[in-house]
Amino acid sequence: MPLWFARGLRRGVVTTRYPARPDVSAASLPTPPAFRPGALTRDLAGRLIVTCPSQALRMRGEGQAGGGTLVFDAGACTACGRCAEVAPEAVTASGEFELAATTRGALVKEIPLAGETR
Amino acid sequence: MTALEPQPTGTIGQLTRQLVGLGGLRVRDGGATKGTATIRMQPGTLEAATHALAATAGIRLADMFADNSTAVTTLRLVWGHETGYLITETEIAGGEYPPLSDIAPAAFVEECEIYEQFGIRPAGGKPLNRLMLPPHAGPDFPRLGHRPPQPPEEVHAPHTVGGQAFEFPFGPVRQVGAESLYYGLVTSGEEVVDVYLFTWHKHRGVEWRLRGKTPREAIFLVERAEGLSAVAAGWAFAAAVEAATGVDLAAETSRTRAVALELERLYNHAAATAALCQSTGLTVGQSAAEIALERLLRLNAAVFGHRYLFGVIEPGGARRAPDGDALRAGLPGAYGELRRAADALLSTNSFIDRLEATGILTAEQARRLGLVGPVARATGLPVDARSSAPGGPYAEHPAQVVTAGAGDVLARFRVMLGEAAESVRLIGEFLDAGTGAGSVRLPAAGGSGLGWAESPRGEILAWAGLDEAGRITRARLRPASVRNWRGFDDACRSQNVFTDIPIIEASFWLTVAGMAR
Repeated sequence: MPLWFARGLRRGVVTTRYPARPDVSAASLPTPPAFRPGALTRDLAGRLIVTCPSQALRMRGEGQAGGGTLVFDAGACTACGRCAEVAPEAVTASGEFELAATTRGALVKEIPLAGETR
Repeated sequence: MTALEPQPTGTIGQLTRQLVGLGGLRVRDGGATKGTATIRMQPGTLEAATHALAATAGIRLADMFADNSTAVTTLRLVWGHETGYLITETEIAGGEYPPLSDIAPAAFVEECEIYEQFGIRPAGGKPLNRLMLPPHAGPDFPRLGHRPPQPPEEVHAPHTVGGQAFEFPFGPVRQVGAESLYYGLVTSGEEVVDVYLFTWHKHRGVEWRLRGKTPREAIFLVERAEGLSAVAAGWAFAAAVEAATGVDLAAETSRTRAVALELERLYNHAAATAALCQSTGLTVGQSAAEIALERLLRLNAAVFGHRYLFGVIEPGGARRAPDGDALRAGLPGAYGELRRAADALLSTNSFIDRLEATGILTAEQARRLGLVGPVARATGLPVDARSSAPGGPYAEHPAQVVTAGAGDVLARFRVMLGEAAESVRLIGEFLDAGTGAGSVRLPAAGGSGLGWAESPRGEILAWAGLDEAGRITRARLRPASVRNWRGFDDACRSQNVFTDIPIIEASFWLTVAGMAR
């Protein structure tokens, strides 16, 4: 036991200061996508939906007047990055890893498609 | 059980000739599993062939699975040898095949699984356990083949010892973060009389879901079949697909995979060290090991962009190259943290006393049950899939296989520590030799292939069959957990007391996800 006591004193406190301070390791974590609505065409959105392996993307309002939207469910996203690989001009990593919400619906976002009025 | 005297070892070529002498047909063209020798046996000679192979020293039954992607269900047996693998395949026209686990006991788990998924069973009516599919799996429940005519049974050792033993149910919900697993512990209060497991709570139908997908779609699920072996499972599956399609990788890409695989081994062994401390009640040691674990996970994220190394492997290549500078800068510190914790643990008598002579397995048990990984190596068996590859990064930079002889928890812990040191050495060599990302376009062609990798828990095998459009007709994943849970039962019964079970479980460091898939 003295061995472990001495080790503890020598090592000091190693716990992170997060959330009071940002955690430096967060910069290298994979994060869900961020979409650029101006660059997100219907055709591109269709390719993203097919690409997403966890079905976190779907179209809403397809074929209806008033334009469609791409529905992104951050609760289903695994931040695999495949969407950003397929369409780097329209999708980037958000850098946002704090995804807690009080309702399930708060994790679902709608992204308007370029050139389609709502 | 049939007693067999091991015969002198032979090469794959000698074994092939032996099987051809028994009436087997060497398959060379489109129907062959690429990357290994394939022998087609008639149902009448399958038993004799299994006898011959099981009696040959140096040969082990590595996997057995069924495939109904053609009109007749085919039974494939994968035999491991230090120079590679050999597959026998037999078409099973009726509902039964010879009772192979009577000859090679390692086949029992697969016999149970094939019965649940395909409805065919070994002849003789031996009871088969429920493994993967839940009891409520009705006719509409997704399964690979046909529903068995009778549901699987639950067969266990006798539960009474002089009228004093009782069953202690534990799980499937256990502690925070632990996987769903039901323990049936039969105890007389102190000594473990028997232990049996229900692993089906975590069944997700991964192999069923892989059908019809392209290999690049499938890798997402393959990595998640056993998340703590994402790199190893991904590599084995990718290698199977690459063998099937005749794709060769650049040396730099293969070394990238090897770097990721050794990082996976490092963090898993650190996690097992922390779990050993937790199971022995040494919370200070647990914290020390978890600091090392967290540093290794952060290193993974900095080097490959994911703490658990998901997304590195893809069929035909590697999606990311390691950040060599970050790895060289961070690895000595993170590994040093683990080494210091391990050195302190090895100097702590109260820790060593709990590990020594606990959960003992012998080399003969490991051989008969087809155990793999640190569990087998701790008994003295030098089984390591890294040394079975005819080419690739481990041919250029051979891994030194770490073994021990005692077969107890302490031996497994020492093997893990030795392997962690070896992983650090190998990573340095791979980085010096050069790594890179990139992938080869997979041709849309039919065929089948076998792939393998050495996960932190042991050998992972993958078999992939593709149709002419390049889509999966049957994908088989055999993580090391499938094999080693079988040995866990025996280790727990080796004159252990009730409180030894968590220690033995930590030293095996298996997953339920890999077993139930």
